[in-house]
Amino acid sequence: MAQPTDSEFVTIVSDDGFEFIIPRSTAYVSETLRIPLSSTNYPEGRDGKFVLKDFSGVIVEKICEYLCYNEKHKDQVNVPDMDIPPELCLELLMAADFLNT
Amino acid sequence: MDSEIPLPPPRRIRHRSPANANPSATGIAVSSFQRAQRLSRFDDRSSQPSSDPALFSSDDIPASGLENYHATVSGAGRKRRYRGTWWGEQVLDPKRKRAEFKDKRNVDSGVWMGSDESGAESLLPSEDGSAWGEDLRKSVLDPRKPGSSTPFTVETENMPTHNRVVFKSPEEPDAHRFARQVVGDCLDKGHESIDLGDFHLETIPSGLLRPLQHLTKLPSVKEAPVSENVFTSLQPFLSIYLPNNSLSALHNDLFELTNLKVLSLRNNKLTEIPSTIRRLTALEVLNLSVNQLAYLPWELLKLMQEGELKHLTVRPNPFLPIEKAQIAEWHNPPTNQKETENDEPLQFENQESSLGKDWSPLHIATGPITYMNMEGNPMGDSPFRNKPTPSPSGLKSPVNDAPSLREIALRAVSKLPYLEQTTDEELAEYPAMIVPLLRQAREVRAAGGQPCSVCHREYVIPRAEWMEWWDFTPCENGMKMPRCPGERLRPLPFRRFGCSLSCVPQSC
Repeated sequence: MAQPTDSEFVTIVSDDGFEFIIPRSTAYVSETLRIPLSSTNYPEGRDGKFVLKDFSGVIVEKICEYLCYNEKHKDQVNVPDMDIPPELCLELLMAADFLNT
Repeated sequence: MDSEIPLPPPRRIRHRSPANANPSATGIAVSSFQRAQRLSRFDDRSSQPSSDPALFSSDDIPASGLENYHATVSGAGRKRRYRGTWWGEQVLDPKRKRAEFKDKRNVDSGVWMGSDESGAESLLPSEDGSAWGEDLRKSVLDPRKPGSSTPFTVETENMPTHNRVVFKSPEEPDAHRFARQVVGDCLDKGHESIDLGDFHLETIPSGLLRPLQHLTKLPSVKEAPVSENVFTSLQPFLSIYLPNNSLSALHNDLFELTNLKVLSLRNNKLTEIPSTIRRLTALEVLNLSVNQLAYLPWELLKLMQEGELKHLTVRPNPFLPIEKAQIAEWHNPPTNQKETENDEPLQFENQESSLGKDWSPLHIATGPITYMNMEGNPMGDSPFRNKPTPSPSGLKSPVNDAPSLREIALRAVSKLPYLEQTTDEELAEYPAMIVPLLRQAREVRAAGGQPCSVCHREYVIPRAEWMEWWDFTPCENGMKMPRCPGERLRPLPFRRFGCSLSCVPQSC
């Protein structure tokens, strides 16, 4: 059985049970996600699954979208703005603080 | 004498004599001035004084001599007036040529044409004289008359001193009340030159300057025969004078006045000029001398390069001397860099002198870049921020050029419709960690957004900051002459921000 930490994808779970499977490298953008996911000492690292307890599915979807967006535009100069619905921006600001991105 | 083409009428009518200055205010001014001058005694070599240009009138016209004492005074007309120093009046910038020509066209050629019916009356000296009186009346509106009990007296010919109803909170300081009164008076009478000097203002009260956006000059029609001369533009040549106050910060209202042409902030306590100044695109004359500025906003350069700003007075100020600053790259290296000692000022000489470049600001050097983290705090000398060594994935925190989630969310926040109305109490209800960010977003919004100086996109949290050293001697001397080859350059620091880690000077 392959170690889950070697898997190319990780799963981000929202408070209300939505699961988002994203490439591992994108999740590593966030310090908060990277440390537990990259080590087998944490349950998250063993399962490849991280539960964002404070955030609902809508927010976690945006977070995952951002993680992929960040990965995509890593070394580009004129990065287009990501579209953020105004009703989500405050919660996303909290998420940004939590994820340290 | 008469055959000479008269100078075009000055754009601003304003008399100011040093005798009128409030003695106590000058006392305060002198001490701060001396301090500032000591700090920058090396760089104050400009031939231009830092004060706002004075207005002179010509010598008496010959007909007004003693032997003609009883002659009709109405024949005198108005004196010629000059703007600037007595040793060289200001040369108008070439863009104004057309307007000058139009002005000249209205001057009496001496030939009476039959079709020229109204022209005859319009050029009667009495008309001219009354206009001159009007000017005089404007000039009397000077708040610093010695001996008067109130800080300002308004002399009016036609109307009695009326008691304006000024809406104010009871605890509003006197200075604010007087300032409001002056502004209200200028609005009522259509005066385009607002003089708020020596008011001891510590802040610009909110709402004081905002109504000036709608200032319109009053048409100068006095009586029935309407001549061609009265058809002039009512677009004001808006000038705001705030010298000799104690301003330490500028209100955003000031930067809303997009048609502002002249702004003087001489002798205040400003430590920083906000980059919002870029909104004053019509600005032609700016005086920032005798303040506490260590650097200027980079946006000022843009106003010089692309805007109308042609006369910038910034010295003396305690600017960061280039000799003491760290320089990452020289664009125009000093000629004595090798042999110089630390104490000696570096010598800069203008080497290339291609046409057209003589007038524009010259980039001398660029300072090192300070990178900021996602919260806008300096990252320090983080080893992973060296561009050539990409962070090894996994171990180091990956820092990349894409905007952070925080930044993206804040950009969305700053577009929220109700952000400006939120008070500090309302903000405090949000979780503590995002309150400072929200406050910052609100400030940016109040300032009308801030575009990145490199990629021109709106941002909230700056991620990179650096100094650039530019020389703009031609603008400093009031466009009197272009830079000549071999001339000493006197670079000044300009602070510049970038919105992402990749928005930095190209060559670095």
